[in-house]
This record gives sequence, C-alpha cells and structure tokens, in this order.
Amino acid sequence: MLPNVKINSYQFLVLVILFTIGTSILIVPSALASDSKQDAWIAAIFGTGIGLLIVWFFTKISLFFPNLTFVQMNETLFGKWLGKSFSFLFVCMTLLYTAILLYNSGTFLTTHQMSNTPIAATNILMAGILVMGVRLGLETIARSAEIFIGVFFLLFIILVIFIVPQIQFENLQPVWEVNIKSLARSSLLLIVVSSVNAVSLLMIFPAFINKPKSAQKYFLIGNLIAGIVIIIITLLCILVLGADLTARQMFPSYGLAKKINIGNYINRVEALMGTLWIISLYFKMVLYFYASVYGLAQIFNLRDYRALTYPLGMIVVILSLIVYPNVVDQQKFETTIGLYFSLTIGFLLPLLMVIVYAIRKKQLKKVTKAS
Amino acid sequence: MLKSIGILIIAAIIVYIEVPSLLKKKYKKELIVFSIILTIGVGMSIAHSFGKSIPNPIDFLTFIFKPLHDAITR
Repeated sequence: MLPNVKINSYQFLVLVILFTIGTSILIVPSALASDSKQDAWIAAIFGTGIGLLIVWFFTKISLFFPNLTFVQMNETLFGKWLGKSFSFLFVCMTLLYTAILLYNSGTFLTTHQMSNTPIAATNILMAGILVMGVRLGLETIARSAEIFIGVFFLLFIILVIFIVPQIQFENLQPVWEVNIKSLARSSLLLIVVSSVNAVSLLMIFPAFINKPKSAQKYFLIGNLIAGIVIIIITLLCILVLGADLTARQMFPSYGLAKKINIGNYINRVEALMGTLWIISLYFKMVLYFYASVYGLAQIFNLRDYRALTYPLGMIVVILSLIVYPNVVDQQKFETTIGLYFSLTIGFLLPLLMVIVYAIRKKQLKKVTKAS
Repeated sequence: MLKSIGILIIAAIIVYIEVPSLLKKKYKKELIVFSIILTIGVGMSIAHSFGKSIPNPIDFLTFIFKPLHDAITR
C-alpha cells in the first residue's frame, strides 16, 4: 500500500492559496487586459466569483468518498477499465501542465534574469527541486509552504505599498466600457487557470486531510484569498501601467515591480520581487507533479510512488523544452485549446461523476458497507 | 554524441539509486513501470539531443479540440 500521510487544515489552506495564485499572478493580467482593456479588474472579480462556485462543486464531489483520491474515485464510479482510462487522461493533463509551468519558469528566468543561460539549464535545476520535493512527500511540501507563505505575503504587501505612489486613476476611465462577450471570454480564462485546474488538488483533498469536513471550508477560503490577490494585482497593473501596456507585456506584474520608485532611492527592486513568482510557480508545479506521480502509481496499484519520480522528472524536462516552439504558440494554446482541455477533464468529468453517482448510489452504498 | 552519453550517465545514476532498493523489497510491478517510463524518458531525451522532432502533445490536443473551437467561435 502507498504510505499514509495526513496534513492539517491550515497546511491545506496554504497549499490552496499558493496553488491558485500560481501562474495567475504572472500571466493572467495581460490576458485579461487584452480582451477587456481597462475593465480587466471587473473580469477578475467575475472570474473569482464563478471560480468559487466551481471549487464548491469540487468539494461536494470529493466528499462522496471521504477516503479516496480522485483516481480511486474514478475507479469506484466507472469500473476498472473506464475509470483507469479517465484517470490516465487526468494524469496526462497534470504532467503536461507541470511541463508547461516549467517552461513558464524557464522563460521567465532566461528572459528577465539570466539572459545568457540556456533554458535547459534552468529547467533541469528547477526539475531537480521538483523531484526532491515530491520524493520527500506531501508533509514536507506542506510544511515548507507554511514557511514560504509568510515570505510571499510580506513581499506582496511591500510591492503593493511601494507601488501606490505611481497610481494614475485616469487609466481606469472609462469604467464599464467592455461588452459582455469579451468580459465572459476573459473571465473564463481566469476561471480555468485558477479554479478548474484545482481538480488536481482533489488528489490530496479528501484523502490526506485529517479533518475533511472542516477543510472543505478552507478550500473555499483559500480560493477566495488567492482571488483577492489576483484582483489586486490586476487592478494595480491597470492603474499603473495602463490597459495597453499591460496587454502587451508578457509578464505585466514584473513590469509593475520595475515601476517602483521611492524618492529616487528605492528603485529597480524587481529581481527581489521575482521571488514572489518563483515561490508561487514552484508550489503550483510541485502539486501538479505530485498529482501526476501519485495518480500514475495508483493507476498501476503500485506500493511505492517514489520510484517513478526520477523518470517522470526526466520526461517533464524534455516536454518543457519541446512543448512550445515559441511564445506565440503559448499564447494561442493557453487562450483557446488549453481551455477546452482543462474544461473537459476538470468540469465535464466531475459532472459525469455526479450523474453516475446519482444513478449507482444504492449499489455503491452496499459496496462500501461490505468492504 | 556527447549529449547522449551524458543522458545515458544520468539514466545509469537513476538506475543505481532506485533499482537496488526495489530489488531488495521484491517490488516486481514497480520495477516494470519504472523501466518503461525510464526507457521513454531516455528515448525522448536522446532523440531531442540529436535534433529530431518529438511528437508534441500540444499538436495532438489541437487536432482534437480544433473542430470544437471552430464550431463555437463561428
């Protein structure tokens, strides 16, 4: 049997916050601003609101079977072969997203901080920490997240306070100029990136939490806190950089940190602020990778998942190098095809699970009582 | 050539770390899954190091979801 670890509700809250902020803080403002211009913050508020509904839906599903992970739930609901193939699709998704995040961190580091380093070098180093984290187990990841959340929020508050003098309220006008269609399109992106992809957290949510009932509340609170952080960052990007510049930059919140200037003395502190994104990217990546390694081990009924970490880490590095030939491809995938893929696994599959559960309810109750 | 030798050395190190403990505990199934995934990983890495194009999962996904996308946006 796989080792049984438990984390407490607070650690889970911290993991949810870091997971949801993840990449959203780095790339979502530009995607929002390119569709809804200066009303991007309204789209962010809508996205967070609907995202909360989706997370509520996830918590309801996961509490059907409070002791099983997402992969095991698939198997009990759909039977052996169908369940295993759905789980395999889920593992493919998480592995692909690990590679995409690794690509993101690699491009961020090589374009902004270490421009002479080849991308393979930064990716291999990052994958090394990734494999190390997953080998040490969920408890270690959760405890380190507890430490880093303090650093994260300290830097975030410093960023917000230092950028306040640069705010120009004219950038926000005219308010509510956006039409409903582009508002819906841009908030869909935020919903998918921050909430629908949280389906990977169902690998740890009911099974490895010591009190699943109370942790349900923390799942929602964590999502809300992260949503507020994203709303603040988007609003600040619009207020300081303006809608046009935000939409055109690849990492607008990094451009935001470049603008910090207190009395011509404290300026160009963006490298320090880069820590923010590395922390949140790392924890999102490690949770995706944990979900894929653990999911694969459960599909094959393995007794130890650790043996899979090194080979899968190798595959992730190679995937991250080939996944996008260039940045244009990344933008195109993330705003169109990636959304459908995430929605299929993260929304249609859970919906199907609810339907099957409703049909097989009595039969399943007998099975769980007998076992 | 040099790159693929490096990749093989890394693979050998991974085998050296993982396999003895798996053999000692007699985890047969784990060993099979481990070797399959490692073979895929090494194969992909060497193909990439020789500059061969590896099938990209993104292209495959685009192939599947493109008709849906076209139907929705039209």
